Order: sequence, then structure tokens, then C-alpha cells
Amino acid sequence: MLEIIAESLLVIITLALIIAGSLAIVIWVRNNTRKLSTLRLFVQIVAVVLIFLGLIIGPFGQEKWEYLGTAPKDIAIGKEIFGRPYPDGLTVPTFSCYYASGRTATCVVWQLQSYLFPDFGTSSVYATTGVERLAIAAGLLIVMSIIFGRFLCGWICPFGLYMDLLTRLRKALKIKHWTLSDRTNEALRQARYLIIAAFLILSVILGMRAIAGVELISETELGRYLEIPFCQVCPAKPLFVLVEGALGFMDVDYMMSQTIGDFALTGWYLTSINIIVLSVVTGGSFMIRRLWCRICPLGGLIAIFSRFGPFKKISLIKLTKVEEKCTKCGICKRVCPPQVTEVYDEKGGDVTVSSCILCFRCVEMCPYEDCLKVEVAGKPIYKSKNWLKEEE
Amino acid sequence: MASEIEKGTKYIPEMSKSEIDDLNKSMKTSSLKVIEDNIEKMKKAWKNRPKAMEYFDEISNLFGKRQEEIKQQKAAGKKVIGYSCIFAPIEMIIAAEAIPVRVGSGWYDSAKLGDRIMPVEVCPVIRSTVGAQMVNLSPFLELSDAIVMPLTCDGRTKLSEMLADHKPIWRMNPPRVKDDPHTLSMWKQEIMVIKEKIEKLTGNKIDRKNLKAAIEKMQQATKAFRRLQDLRKGNPVINGRDAMLVNQTALWDDIERWTQKANELCDELEKRLEQKQYSTYPDTPRVMLTGTPMIWPDSWKVPNLIEESDPQGIVVVDEQCSGDRILYDPVGVDEWTMSDMIDAIGERYLMACTCPCFTSEHGNEDRINWIIDRIKEYKVDGVIYYVVRGCILYAMEYQRIKNVLDAMNIPVYYLDTEYTREDVGQMKTRVEAFLEMLEARMDI
Repeated sequence: MLEIIAESLLVIITLALIIAGSLAIVIWVRNNTRKLSTLRLFVQIVAVVLIFLGLIIGPFGQEKWEYLGTAPKDIAIGKEIFGRPYPDGLTVPTFSCYYASGRTATCVVWQLQSYLFPDFGTSSVYATTGVERLAIAAGLLIVMSIIFGRFLCGWICPFGLYMDLLTRLRKALKIKHWTLSDRTNEALRQARYLIIAAFLILSVILGMRAIAGVELISETELGRYLEIPFCQVCPAKPLFVLVEGALGFMDVDYMMSQTIGDFALTGWYLTSINIIVLSVVTGGSFMIRRLWCRICPLGGLIAIFSRFGPFKKISLIKLTKVEEKCTKCGICKRVCPPQVTEVYDEKGGDVTVSSCILCFRCVEMCPYEDCLKVEVAGKPIYKSKNWLKEEE
Repeated sequence: MASEIEKGTKYIPEMSKSEIDDLNKSMKTSSLKVIEDNIEKMKKAWKNRPKAMEYFDEISNLFGKRQEEIKQQKAAGKKVIGYSCIFAPIEMIIAAEAIPVRVGSGWYDSAKLGDRIMPVEVCPVIRSTVGAQMVNLSPFLELSDAIVMPLTCDGRTKLSEMLADHKPIWRMNPPRVKDDPHTLSMWKQEIMVIKEKIEKLTGNKIDRKNLKAAIEKMQQATKAFRRLQDLRKGNPVINGRDAMLVNQTALWDDIERWTQKANELCDELEKRLEQKQYSTYPDTPRVMLTGTPMIWPDSWKVPNLIEESDPQGIVVVDEQCSGDRILYDPVGVDEWTMSDMIDAIGERYLMACTCPCFTSEHGNEDRINWIIDRIKEYKVDGVIYYVVRGCILYAMEYQRIKNVLDAMNIPVYYLDTEYTREDVGQMKTRVEAFLEMLEARMDI
């Protein structure tokens, strides 16, 4: 008992220190950069450090867990929820990849897939049933979607930072970016939901054996890792495990041993499909800003719970536009990383849409005072302004 | 032997040199007098006019300092590129180290001369410009090596043919429908054509570096311009006429020097705002001007009337391509690559423009939005809708604007006039009646 109190106290102190530290950095950056996009870059970097390295560099830095996939202090962070151990780390709807060592939060896509597969529950680490875990993951997804929406994509997501860094590199090389046609963007936007449906259905099919006692696909070596189908193709997973491997937090040889089939067809940490997708997305997002965000199923999940139906009304962060202040100059459309056109096309009012990553680049670049606004719970926190004034 | 078609190529008739010289001399004299009168009136209306205004008075003399400067720079090898309308991509002209000057004409006398080759129904801005060309009146038209002429309205389309007798004319074809998907790409092609022509004429290549410098120069000008406009939002620290003159000198002055001088003026005005030294009574009815461009010097008759009538009004803002729209919209660049800069320039000149030559699915909504916003921001009491006879596009949009203003409970007055000084008397009565009504409304 005492041990638990001591440990939770330590967790609280660490978290407080981390939050205080990052706030200090954010404030310092805010005072030293006039540009919102620079502030965003710093927030993204802080977020990545917190997500992937938070506990390694903190007081919990301890020797590598033998079982690499579980972060050292996952259990400390998510120890007790509703009085039950919850060892996978808390859900955050960003690409805070489950497979990377030392992460403090877990990608909701992984959780949804694995908890849909009830066989997982028999493992000794869990005291919660599959349904409970699914409820916790889905609940946190919905709550965070309502609170933050795709703000998480624009400001927190580590893979978003990766794409932004590629964009910054391209800018530094003075290479012109490519644009996709509105039709392609719309197709990618719709494809997100197909991907979500596909991985959920596949998870259920592969989990049928445990659910209904029917074996739809006979259990083979190859099928073992297919239980979590999306992670087999995700571009973010190989990036994070390789970066952690390069930094020495993970054992690359071990990762490579956890594959099956010719050319690492499936595997736990790395598959050849992963690497191919990552290469394509890397090349693509070097030329096209935030390419992956346009098709990201995780972004789609957040969008479902923040931009559609009743969620649209209660979601906290909104982008609004005042019609009469807009001259339709088109700057907002041109500067938008995922090429959202609605902010330009819509007449006024709430212009947030499902493909908007709430990076607020349009608000930053709009030259008309108070035309575009970022509203949190109806209160404007950031407005477009005459940015000419800033450039002394 | 010249064929029939060749005989018909020239619009502008041959005139004897002595006739040209006589007309030029008399028009120049009368124009100088009008300029002097206008400045005199502005000085009289505004006791303790700021010292910074003296610079603009000097530069407002079209035949004075600036003409000499351009002549000297031209002799030193610089090219002068005129433009008839604010659609011309000025950043590119500056990037190629040429001198941009606006050549639209505001002389009443030369409009009469234009009557010789076209009927009076034609917009007087066009007649006046042709007339000025006939007697070499306009110094900037004379000095231009080429003229960028966006074909915004019917008048300008034919004007480009008439001036082509004397000057190389670079036509730009603005797409008239703003919200078509191909509009921007069409316009960018037009801009690229102009870019090549500028490069060919000046021999300077427009590259990433000098274009970026030019854009930043213009952004600084926009910044100063907006600063001045913002100062007009509160209690009057500057008379409308004076602000309009400052705005308009940006069309022919050296833009860097203009920026500096405008900032100096703003510094002084800001000080006055703190000391509550107003240019006129704070409860003066606040008037907005919209419609046909008012070109210095002769068209100052309307703002002169408004600010000198009894009861007096003050022009706080306008929606005219000769005023608030000159520099208000900045070029917003996302990434400093050549293509993004050109996209940004294209969007700034086409998409942000509220000229009635455009239409879209919802009509020329941009203009209505602009007017609504200005009325709210500048606390406008009444709108004067200024149209010169023959300016069909502005005249036809009146009804829609009026409906919107009626819904906002803002009085609007349709002031139609001509390029003539003869209607000042009767116009005074009309303007005074309108201002009286505004004042009565304010008392309630």
C-alpha cells in the first residue's frame, strides 16, 4: 500500500515537473518568437519528448525492459483505472506508437485493434476484460476528440512533426511544393473511413476464434501478427522504432528477429510493408505538405468524434470566420498544409472541417484583423491580425 | 498605297504642333491652379496642419518634383512602366528596377478634348486620359516606356487601342468570374506574360531575390498605409481629403520614400490623438465614399464639397481603387519560392479586389462585405455613392448596395456627376441636404 502511494507520488511529482518545464519552454518561446508556426514547432518537439522519452530521461530511467514492446513505466502511468491494472499506457489519439520503448501514452488505433481481439485478455498482465479496456480506450478517444479535436494532429502528433520537419527541409532547399487536386484530397479524405472500417473488421475476423469459437482464418505463423492489421502497414511505427533503435533505447537486432516470412512480410516491430509505406510517405510529404494527414485513419477517428453529428456542437476548439471581413484573397487556402478549401469557400461562422488539423496557419497568415478566429469553448484565444505590424 | 484598313488604324487625329502646344499650356496652367487651390482649401480647413503633410503637397504637384526625378532616373537608364489600374503587378515592376506610375487621368479639361473622338456617353476617365495623350498633358503618360493595361471595363479595353497609337500597350485580361476553378490559373498566366515583357523591356531578370525584396518593400508600404487608415477610425485626427491625397500619392511616388513619409505623418498624428488635437469637431458626420475612382486633382471637387459644406462632413473611409484599395491588401507569401510568390501576387491583385468588373455565383459580394465591414469599423454615418456618368459597372451595382445599406439603416446618397466644374453649385445643395439629414439623425 505504502509502496503504491510512494510510487504515485513520484509519478505526480515527475508529471508536475515535466509540465512546469514544458510550460516554461513554451512561454520562453512565445516571448522569443512572434510567429505562431514557430511556437507550434516547439510545442511539437516538447510533445515528442514527453511521449517517447518522458520516462526514460525522467527518474524512472531504468534498464531496458526485456520485453521491448512495453514501456518501462507504462504500468506506473496507467496503473489503476477503476481499481484495475491497465498496463498499456493511457490512450492519446496521436501516433504515440505502442511499439516504441519508453512511450508514456499509446496510440488509440493499436488499442482498438488489440482489444477487439478478446484472446488478448487471457494474458496475466491484465485484470480488466477486453470489453472494459475497449470502453476505456474508446472513451478516452471520444473525450480527447471533443476536447482537443484534430488540434492533436497539428500540435502534438510526432508523425506530424516528422512531416513538418520534411517541409521545413524542403523550404530551406527552396523547392516548390506540389499540390494535390481537390478531387484527390476528397478521395483521400473518404479513404480514411475505409481504412478505419477495414482494420476494425479485420481485427474482428481474426479474433473470431475467441469470440465465437469459429476459426475464419486458420492460425498460421503468418497470421500471428495480423491480429493488429493496421500496425502492419502504418508508416509511423517503423519510424519510431528505428529512431529509438538508433538512439540506443531499443535493440534493432531483436526487432529484426521478430519477423516472419520472406523479406519480413509480417512482424512485430518492422515489416517490409511498413518500410515501403514509410518511404512513400516520406518522399511524398517532402513534396506535399502533410500528405499522410489527408488519409490518416487516426485523424479520421478524431474527426468522427469532433466534427460530425452532435460532436460538432460540443467540440471545444473551433475555427470561425467573419464573412464581412473576408476579402476572399485566397491566402488561407494557399498556406493550408493539408489543403483545406472550406475555410476559404465557406461564407462564415464555424469553418472547422474534418480534414483541418487545426494548425492555425491560416489564422496566422490572414492579413485582415479579426477575420479568422480560434475559439475555445466559444471564447476567442487567437485572432488573425494585421501581421505586417509584427515584422519590425 | 495605304489600304483602307490601314487608314483606319489611328484613333487619335493628327493635330498641328502649335495647337498641341497651346492646349497643353492652357491645360497645364489650369491644372496647376486646381492643384494649388485644392491644397489651399485643405490648409484652410485644417488649422495647424501637420508639417509632414508638406511633403505630400509637394509630391502632389504632377508637374513638379516627381516628374523631374523620373526624368533624371530615366536619363540614367531606368525604365518607366505606367499602369492604368491597380491590377498591375507592381511588385514585379519594382523587382525589375523599373519605376511604376499610375497613368489614369483626372483632368476635366482634357476630357473635353476626348469628346472629339468619342461620344460624351463614354466614361470621362477614359475621355480625359485620351485627351491628355492628345496634347501630351500627363507627365507620367509621357514618360512611360510601356503601359500595363488590365482590360477591366469596356472603356479601358478601347482605351488600350487608342493609346496604342503612341505607346506600347501590355494588355492584361482579368477573368471576370472570380469563383471559377480555372480563374486563378488564367490570371497567373497573364501575370507570367507581363513578367516576361517587363524582363524584356528592362533587361533585368525578375528572380527570387529581387522579387522577395520588392514584395517586402510593398508590404512595408501597406503597413504604413494601414496605419494611416487605422488612425481614421476614431475621432478625426486627419481630414478625409488630406488622407486621400496621401493615399493617392503612393501611385506615383517612390514607394520607399512614400512609406517613410507616411510613417512620419502617422507618428505626428498619433501624438495628436493622444493630445486630443482633432482636425475637426469629433461630432462631425462621418461619411464613406464609394464608387468611381476620384483622381487627383480635379475630382477633389467632391471631397472638397463634403468637408466644406455647412453642416460639414468628414470623409473617414472610402471603397475606391483611388483610395483605400490602393495598398490595403498585402501580398501574403507562405514559402519564399518563385512560384509561391507569383501565386501570392496573383491572388492579391485579383482575388482581394472588389472592383465591380467582377462577378461570381453570389454577385460581387466581396465589395458588399468590404463596405459593411468599413461601415462598422469606421462608425460611418452615411455613404456617398459617387458615380461619373458613363461608369456603368458602378452605376449598375448601386441598387444592390443600397438594399444592403437600407437593411443596415445607413443612409446612402447617389451622387452622379461629370468631369466638369459647372455642377458644383447644384451639387453643393445636394450634398448639404444629405449632410443635414445625417446630422439630424445623429441628434436623435
